[in-house]
Amino acid sequence: MRLYLKLAVRNLLRNKRRSFIAGTAIGIGLAALIFTDALMVGMERNMIASATESFMGEGQIHRAGYRESYDVEKTINRRLEVVSGLEHETIIRHFSPRVFSFAMITSPSNVSSVSLVGIDPDKERYLSQVDEAVNSGSFFSGTGEHDLVIGNKLAEILEVGLGDRLVLTVAQAYSGDLSQELFRVSGIYHLNVQEMDQAMALVRLPQAQKMLGLGEEIHEIALRFTDSRYAEEANLPFWRSYSQFGNETVGWPELMPDLKAAFDLASFATFFVGLILFGVVALGIINTLFMSLHERMFEFGVLRAVGTRSSVMALLIVFEAGALAALSIFLGIILGSLVTGIMTKIGINYVGIEFSGVTFRKLLYPVFQVKQFVLYPLVVFVFTVLVGLYPAIFAARMSPAKAMRRSF
Amino acid sequence: MLTLKMAWRNIFRQKRRTVLSILTMFGGFTLSAISIGWADGTYNRIIDMFTRNRLGHIQIHARGYLDRPSIYKWIKDYQKIGEEIQKIQGVEAWVPRLYSAGLASVGDKSAGARIIGIDPERETAATRFDKKIIQGRSFSPKPSHQAILGKGLARTLKAKTDDQIVIVSQGADGSIANDLYTIVGITESGDPTQDLSSFFLHLKDAQDLLVLDSVIHEMAVIVSKLGQVSRITQQIRTTLNDPGLEVSPWQEFGRSFFVAMQADKEGNWIMLFIVVLIVAIGVLNTVLMTVLERTREYGVMRALGTGRFLVFRLIVYEVALMALIGMVIGFGLSLLINHQLSIHGIAMPHAFRYGGVEFTHYYTEINARSFYIPAVTVFFSALLVSIFPALRAAHISPARALRTH
Amino acid sequence: MKTNRTFLGIILTMIFSMFPTASTPAEVIDVKEIVHQVDQLYRSDFSYSEVEMEIVTPHWQRTLSMQAWTQGMDQTFIRITAPDKEKGMATLRIKNEMWNYLPKTNKVIKIPPSMMMSSWMGSDFTNDDLVKEFSLYDDFSYQLIPSAKGSEDTILINCIPRPDLPIVWHNIVIAGRKEDHLPVWQKYYDEKGQLMRILNYSEVKKFGTRTLPATMEMIPQNKEGHKTVIRYLALDFDRKINPEVFSLRHLRGD
Repeated sequence: MRLYLKLAVRNLLRNKRRSFIAGTAIGIGLAALIFTDALMVGMERNMIASATESFMGEGQIHRAGYRESYDVEKTINRRLEVVSGLEHETIIRHFSPRVFSFAMITSPSNVSSVSLVGIDPDKERYLSQVDEAVNSGSFFSGTGEHDLVIGNKLAEILEVGLGDRLVLTVAQAYSGDLSQELFRVSGIYHLNVQEMDQAMALVRLPQAQKMLGLGEEIHEIALRFTDSRYAEEANLPFWRSYSQFGNETVGWPELMPDLKAAFDLASFATFFVGLILFGVVALGIINTLFMSLHERMFEFGVLRAVGTRSSVMALLIVFEAGALAALSIFLGIILGSLVTGIMTKIGINYVGIEFSGVTFRKLLYPVFQVKQFVLYPLVVFVFTVLVGLYPAIFAARMSPAKAMRRSF
Repeated sequence: MLTLKMAWRNIFRQKRRTVLSILTMFGGFTLSAISIGWADGTYNRIIDMFTRNRLGHIQIHARGYLDRPSIYKWIKDYQKIGEEIQKIQGVEAWVPRLYSAGLASVGDKSAGARIIGIDPERETAATRFDKKIIQGRSFSPKPSHQAILGKGLARTLKAKTDDQIVIVSQGADGSIANDLYTIVGITESGDPTQDLSSFFLHLKDAQDLLVLDSVIHEMAVIVSKLGQVSRITQQIRTTLNDPGLEVSPWQEFGRSFFVAMQADKEGNWIMLFIVVLIVAIGVLNTVLMTVLERTREYGVMRALGTGRFLVFRLIVYEVALMALIGMVIGFGLSLLINHQLSIHGIAMPHAFRYGGVEFTHYYTEINARSFYIPAVTVFFSALLVSIFPALRAAHISPARALRTH
Repeated sequence: MKTNRTFLGIILTMIFSMFPTASTPAEVIDVKEIVHQVDQLYRSDFSYSEVEMEIVTPHWQRTLSMQAWTQGMDQTFIRITAPDKEKGMATLRIKNEMWNYLPKTNKVIKIPPSMMMSSWMGSDFTNDDLVKEFSLYDDFSYQLIPSAKGSEDTILINCIPRPDLPIVWHNIVIAGRKEDHLPVWQKYYDEKGQLMRILNYSEVKKFGTRTLPATMEMIPQNKEGHKTVIRYLALDFDRKINPEVFSLRHLRGD
């Protein structure tokens, strides 16, 4: 065995230039596969992050039925149990309680309908990106009870700026009584997501609860896992354990089926393109191996002439193919990591673009994954060796005389 | 033309080598062609579905309506405008629409609604309105106080077909508009947010309700070929020649959708570039090897007195011929495959809903781009790649060449 | 935080009234007293009125005539008597619930709470007026503004809301007649000191035992060509109201 390996390597080294070119060709193919895969994964991650991190969270808990009607009275059951449970949950990194209601907001100049959102700023900070998007004022720093944070589009419609007065009107839970409160604009954000910039008014949780007459109850808990992929696992026991007692816990794929559908579309698309890409790489491999075979026809003829057995001939070639594959993989991985690595530092700029209801907010970075460095090289290796079988068998079968005549 | 003849004969001398070269070239060509055809096909189909299905390819409004909609920003004489538009080549159909907001009530349930007045016949012909009705039926041709609700609205109001529904709104004259209608159908547009508030009326009924005499807010135009949208938009603008009207193509009124599609397309370009790069390298590899391995042969030719330039030309011609053959085969093959795929498509693992339409298959598209881009790539990369080795072969000293094996 | 249930805005505000108009001694200007009077001018435990509301917008102009009955703070009934298109329409409000009757379709619609907060009839009265009823007397602090020259017969009072009062105005300036303290106008300012709207009172008339301005005109300052005018044609604070008035049956016009 070792002899073959030695021979194979030496053969490769004999014609360095040819081996290098061949290796590079296949190597580039592998590098391309690595890069494209990384890009696709990065895109997926980016989109999910954009969707979940801006406000929604990776999962949410509600009272069952809340999402259908958004009834103010449908608050989460057994709130204290749920919250303490979450605090001890190892897979949950952060969670944030919220209260929602339809509301009217009035300024001296205008009136608009909005979604009143009561939040706990200390918890919300870790969950959504609204706090990062505040470009005027602050996100509930300080303790002002009547702080209000709105999007820039809403501020424009209402013609207000920091410190200005706004009155929020809501209908109380259970009684339907209208209740009003004065708030002052303490922060203005720009998330670049239309609905959020235009139709949300954020206040402190206790304020919202008081206005709505909800006591301590809440409508929603938004969740962030320690690993974002948990949200996509349909079989996670977490979903079931928090969907008891009349509550319902779901991950973002259920909350945004449109996005999920877009992903499925994209992954199938990637698969298809990957297939084509692979076809092209395969071509390169076939091409290279055959070329090298033909080049050395005479040599093989001599080998046969001096009595090398067919099986040995075949093995020689297979080993060479393997060695070439190894070289290519080596080159490919280096090139692939290099290019992808550079991109992970620079990123691709898709910021501001909206797709399937999700706006890209951060730069797109390709993501390295183990499979890129194990699966793909393996496939390339196997394929190269497989392709090498044809010339191997051919070489094993050929008559020495014929081979020696062919070199011209 | 001796050189050409020689080139031609040369390539058939070494069958295997030639076959490999041509294989790379036509393989690369075909794969690139399919990639492009597929990308274009899918996107254009999605765009078409999105625009043709509901919004239209081109929309016309009173100036300023899109920016800040108002019931008072109406379009007059729309029938005449419609006639003018219909005359433009490439226009398939146009539909009029009227919009307002109001309160809808069934029994003791009420909810905010978006009133949309449509011309049922035109709407069905142009945007397949009748196909989106999931319960009941579409409007009768004549205005008969019928209403069709979006799925979400019907659910909020707990309304079924044959129920009576009241709508209250404000007329254009400031009066309180209100009337009673019979629900004949429930529709699903695919956009759940729309369905939560859509309240369709026959155009005439809507005009009566809102005290708007034969005016509308929007005209949507459907064209037969997506690629014609820009041209037709321009033509409509010139034909109408009215500064009070705004003609917008889908890229403008469906801006976020357009931008998303563009972004995706760009992503695809990157991948295409990679495919093309690999093809070019494959061709390089082939050609390089071919030329290099015949160094001896060229040495002999040179020793016999063949001019440098001739050698150079010979090599280049050979490559060019192989490239041409590769392209022809590639063209034929990709045409075949793309044609099949554009008709039958590739089934997706599970159906995908977007914009109210169900996508079950991927389709490719046959277009000029999917041929000329691969053609140019293969041909020019082949030629380009052959220059260096050809030069080298032409300049090598015969003695050296003969010594090489 | 005050909860309240009024909805038809200024109409209802005007319909409440309690005290007979005071004619105080002219020399002592008791600011508090004046404010109190303006506050109470249109309030009552119960009332019946006939009102005309004229709405002017850049696109159209309408005048609605209506009859209104109120009882306490919770019950209101309004029937539109003109023009023809709206004739017979009625609105009933009891506590937090509100219904509309539409004669054309002979249907009664219940108005959802969310709709109750939006403006009615396209008039110029904002949410504050529609929903909130605050008391100038209780919820504001006030100070006399020294009269400018040429207005010796009017008193100007600057009313500043208490800190957490849910209104959008920074301050409201009231001008009252020196002789009888009846309001002449109210000016609403935002926090930047900009005048946002003016409410003009005019046509002082005697209605039963009370004398008050019969016409109120609201003119927004940030919108061109808009105004709303309300005129009392009849106002009765003494007539006892049949409780049957505040019923769904009455809504339908029986």
